[in-house]
Amino acid sequence: MPPESENPGTEAPIPIGTGALDADLGIGPDGAGVVEAAPGEAGPGGGPWAVAWRRLRRNKVALFSLAVFLLIVICCLLAPVWANQVAHTGPNTTHTLEKLHVGGEVREVVEPSGKAIGPQWFEAGGKFFLGADGHLGRDEMVRLLYGGRSSLFIGIVAALITTILAVTFALLAGYYGGWPDTIISRAMDVIWAFPVVLLGISLGIVLAVGGLVIGPIHLKSSSLWIPTLIIGVVYTPYMARPLRGEILALREKEFIEAAIAQGASGFRIMFVELLPNLLSTIIVFFTLNIANNMLLEAVLSYLGAGVQPPSSSWGTMISEGFQALYSQPILTIIPGTAILLTVLSVNVFGDGLRDALDPKSKVRFEARAGTAAEMDNPI
Amino acid sequence: MLRFAVRRLLGAIAVLFAISVLVFLIFNVVPATNPAQRIAGKNATPQLIKNVEKEWGFDKSLPEQYWTQMKLIFTGEATSYSLAHINIDERILEGIPVTASLCIGAAIIWLAFGILLGYISAMNAGGLVDRFVTVIALIGISMPVFWLASIFLYYLTYKVELFPASGYEPLSNPGKWASHLILPWISLAVLFAGFYSRVLRSSMLDVMNEDYVRTARAKGLSQRRVTVRHVLRNSLIPIVTLFGLDFGVLIGGGAIITESLFNLEGVGYFTAEALGQQDFPSIMAVTIFGAFFIVLFNTFVDIAYAYLDPRIRLGTSAV
Amino acid sequence: MKKLPNFLLIAALVAVLAAGLAACGGGGSSSGKPTTSEGGGAGAEGKEGGTLKGAYTSFPDYMDPQISYTAEGWTAMRPVYIPLLTYKHAEGEEGAEIIPGLAKELPKITNGDKTYTMFLRKGLKYSNGEEIKAGDFKYAVERCFLTNSGGSPFYTDIAGAEQFAKTKKGGISGIKVNESTGEIVINLMKPQGTFPNTLALMFVAPIPQKTPAEDQSAHPIPASGPYYLTKSEPGRGWEYERNPYWAKDNGKQLTEIPSGHVDKIEIEVLRNQSTQVNDVESGKLNWIFDPPPTDRYTEVKEKFEGTQFRPEPTISTYYFWMNETVEPFSNQKVREAVNYAVDPAALERIYTGQIKGTQQILPPGMPGYEKFELFPHNVKKAKELIAESGIKDKEVTVWTDSESPNNDAGTYYQGLLNEIGLKAELKILNPDNYFTVIGNRSTPNLDTGFSDWFEDFPHPNDFFDILLNGESIQNTNNQNFSQTNVPELNKKIDKLAEEQLGPQQEKEYAELDKEFMEHAAWAPYGTRTLSLFVSSNINLETAIWNPTFETELTSLEFKE
Repeated sequence: MPPESENPGTEAPIPIGTGALDADLGIGPDGAGVVEAAPGEAGPGGGPWAVAWRRLRRNKVALFSLAVFLLIVICCLLAPVWANQVAHTGPNTTHTLEKLHVGGEVREVVEPSGKAIGPQWFEAGGKFFLGADGHLGRDEMVRLLYGGRSSLFIGIVAALITTILAVTFALLAGYYGGWPDTIISRAMDVIWAFPVVLLGISLGIVLAVGGLVIGPIHLKSSSLWIPTLIIGVVYTPYMARPLRGEILALREKEFIEAAIAQGASGFRIMFVELLPNLLSTIIVFFTLNIANNMLLEAVLSYLGAGVQPPSSSWGTMISEGFQALYSQPILTIIPGTAILLTVLSVNVFGDGLRDALDPKSKVRFEARAGTAAEMDNPI
Repeated sequence: MLRFAVRRLLGAIAVLFAISVLVFLIFNVVPATNPAQRIAGKNATPQLIKNVEKEWGFDKSLPEQYWTQMKLIFTGEATSYSLAHINIDERILEGIPVTASLCIGAAIIWLAFGILLGYISAMNAGGLVDRFVTVIALIGISMPVFWLASIFLYYLTYKVELFPASGYEPLSNPGKWASHLILPWISLAVLFAGFYSRVLRSSMLDVMNEDYVRTARAKGLSQRRVTVRHVLRNSLIPIVTLFGLDFGVLIGGGAIITESLFNLEGVGYFTAEALGQQDFPSIMAVTIFGAFFIVLFNTFVDIAYAYLDPRIRLGTSAV
Repeated sequence: MKKLPNFLLIAALVAVLAAGLAACGGGGSSSGKPTTSEGGGAGAEGKEGGTLKGAYTSFPDYMDPQISYTAEGWTAMRPVYIPLLTYKHAEGEEGAEIIPGLAKELPKITNGDKTYTMFLRKGLKYSNGEEIKAGDFKYAVERCFLTNSGGSPFYTDIAGAEQFAKTKKGGISGIKVNESTGEIVINLMKPQGTFPNTLALMFVAPIPQKTPAEDQSAHPIPASGPYYLTKSEPGRGWEYERNPYWAKDNGKQLTEIPSGHVDKIEIEVLRNQSTQVNDVESGKLNWIFDPPPTDRYTEVKEKFEGTQFRPEPTISTYYFWMNETVEPFSNQKVREAVNYAVDPAALERIYTGQIKGTQQILPPGMPGYEKFELFPHNVKKAKELIAESGIKDKEVTVWTDSESPNNDAGTYYQGLLNEIGLKAELKILNPDNYFTVIGNRSTPNLDTGFSDWFEDFPHPNDFFDILLNGESIQNTNNQNFSQTNVPELNKKIDKLAEEQLGPQQEKEYAELDKEFMEHAAWAPYGTRTLSLFVSSNINLETAIWNPTFETELTSLEFKE
């Protein structure tokens, strides 16, 4: 759909294909989005951060989402408390032949047909709050909380990895230009052209089989770090490319030229001058990345290329639950809902955060386009 | 124009080569276990393992191995031992109609809903309707396909037998074809619909602030005419680009989860199956073909764009 | 070496998965169950003809009689390829009886049980009209070796076979055939009590000598049985039609082999087991090879038992092996403790009623089986034994495959070992190479884990010699996972292996069973139940389940 426009001169540049995404970031020649965050204007009280905070505070939905997310994180962190004080069992403890005393009744945790007990809420004093998880009779609530720890760990730590890698590469490529830029950009192009999920499962399945050995570090195939690293790495280009574009625009700015003229070192320019100006973008990316990471974790685990048994996550719980979809649909719906709620709260908060930090939509939704479209679509 | 096309194609070929090397390295250098034993599958005799070793070049140097394996994959001679000795490339080809049926149907749904919601949202920017649509869109984006699919499968095909339980029916019987695909279409489309509505919304808001739109308005054109003729049309550009990317990924085997949950034996289903068997040759072939498809698709889109819009080919070209 | 077919894995991905098979308690009794279904009424008479539609969850490993070594392949080829000897088309113990197939009568065994003499029947033809020759049998045995078939180890006792396996040239000298009389003489290096059983395996079913010595799954080999394969597409399905030469020639002589009721059989590979169940319910499919998935099992059983559904026993043992060569399982007390701790009742539940608890090597239905229970479930006793052994908090690795519920059984077992005072870590592998990995003695940390064994033929030697004889321990492709090596028991196995099975031998095998359990070589926990599930227009009463070949396709018929 090419525009046969009446006003050709004023049209926005058309983002084309994989390479043109920088153009899509709204980093126009005037760098309008950037100026506002320039250090000169930043100050206590009236600075951009304070402005952003005021905006965010007004966005009740976003704050509510943040609260929901934090609540989920706290619940999962408290998993051992629930397990020891309320459910009196562990995430991997089996109760196949046990009987549960509910009121005056005695119920079997697992029926001879293999069907597990349903949610008991507080009827059994918190035991089997959400029922048991199938033939092994493990406590679903306890597993959900422990599984959530894995899923959240992967979501957050992978986002950190992505951020660190992406910022480093973007600074190197964007600031130095020349051959570092060429090498980094071409490498990113290759990964970019690779569907995230296919890359993720390829790495996942290979490492799930043999584990990972890098020099003295040996990661067992069941280590949570393997899916975390994979997810962190595959998303790097999706963050690094827009950041690089932003740096290219920033480099033209007076304050950078001034710093160069004063003979500041490259290190100083990159980390003291450039980095603070990228922070708002980075924060938004980081937040939205957590949501996408958690969805990708579920996909990889479902396909056997993510978290490996006996570790469990919400993804592995879904994959186990699906085996009993028709007799016990709740075993799929519970972890699925947990993912939905968590990801939704992160997305809504991230959306609000972007509105607050980035009112001119510097990091427009399209910036995520590559990310979200590619990362989510196989789901 | 020709120069641009050639340059773009050469770039694409370079990327394709790099991808094939990357995939090769992932599957042949990273794993610490005996690859031949893995490939040979169940009931593998020592002789079979030896044959596999030879066929896939594991006894040779890495570059030779690369060449041998790519030859197998690209000449359509690669056989999967774990999956009943099927020919991998044939199996992928057979999956394409299924995958295409799924993706085209889902694409129509997500484009329709995405554009509709995005338009409504942008026209009411800041209002209640906008907020409501935004929440709906974000729910769509946050929805794991498992969740929706499990609810569909359990309630709509099993409890209430409203739709046939999964499986693919050929297009020769259009009614049956559609009834088997409707749930997968919706499951796959929800996420994109939510996402596209967000993209369109912000794109429309940007365009509305452009000078030429203000000019058009100032000229006294009706609001409706301005929105449809100028705003919507120009705002759709990112959507079209995005669509090119997304559709390429899905056709190239990206709808793994949807296909396997609903038992649609397309390319994505085959990928899931190969993953279950940890059948490296099949995964390798699917990944390479998937990536190739996407790169080629993008290249063609680029060239087509450039043909239609001269500014592109004069600017710095991608890849 | 036959393992439970690997049809589940794919299903696992696809949502509805099941390890399997049928419910406990189902007897093998087939006949005489009242039929209440409409259409036929009690004692419905079957009708001839029609097209039977069936489904498998995955394509058999090979559609080639010499190479296939799975239940899937054997069930599929049973009506197509007939060995010289064969198993009676019947249920239970009767189905374990060896009868003459293409041979005129059972072999004459002479020369101290080392020479087998048989005569091929005259005038038999393949489905392409070609005459069946005595040399075709010889070629079938040779083809086992030429294709490196998993079945070839059964025939290495034939004189000259080892040599042929190495050189692949010159034929096997121990098999002599006379084309004019049809005489076949087989010379063995040493007596082998199971040899008649191995002659009744699919591996040595005669095939035309021009058949290439490579996998013919996609190019069906001409049939000697009542049906022939009209097409076979690996990964997708296959079809049968009546062998035109059966009624005219072969069938007239092979009267004990049923001719089948339907005219055509079409089998498709349908990966979703839940869809298979739906299709049988709606009549779109008439029969499915794999039992309903665990998820749907109870529902199907409650709705259709006796009318369309029947649990069927198998001759199999599920067990946890313990590697006797390393700590802590080198300690007899620890092995006994594990046996006390493992509770078959819990595992019955984990397998959703599809195994029946047993705690011995030989399963019910196997000659020589005599029920005993040495280790009644007692966790306290188990803990005491561990305390006595002086081994505490020893780290062990538990191995299992990812097929449900074997993975759950592994998780259960891991928890149990931790409970009695060991420190167990679980390792779950892909079922495709699980047995390859644990069969490789150089794999590190092979401490204990899951395994199962389905009989190749109803002879107790098939369990002891392969799984527990110290002499059969190999560095790769090892099947003696516990690496049990008790010289006096090895000797007993070797002695019995050379004798033909009789009441005396059965008694000795029963003793052997007990001795191995006293040694606590394994912790066995059950025997598998599979099931037969057909559409409402198929006569369940006359359907036959053979202990070795499972569903007899020739027994399926449409109701009147």
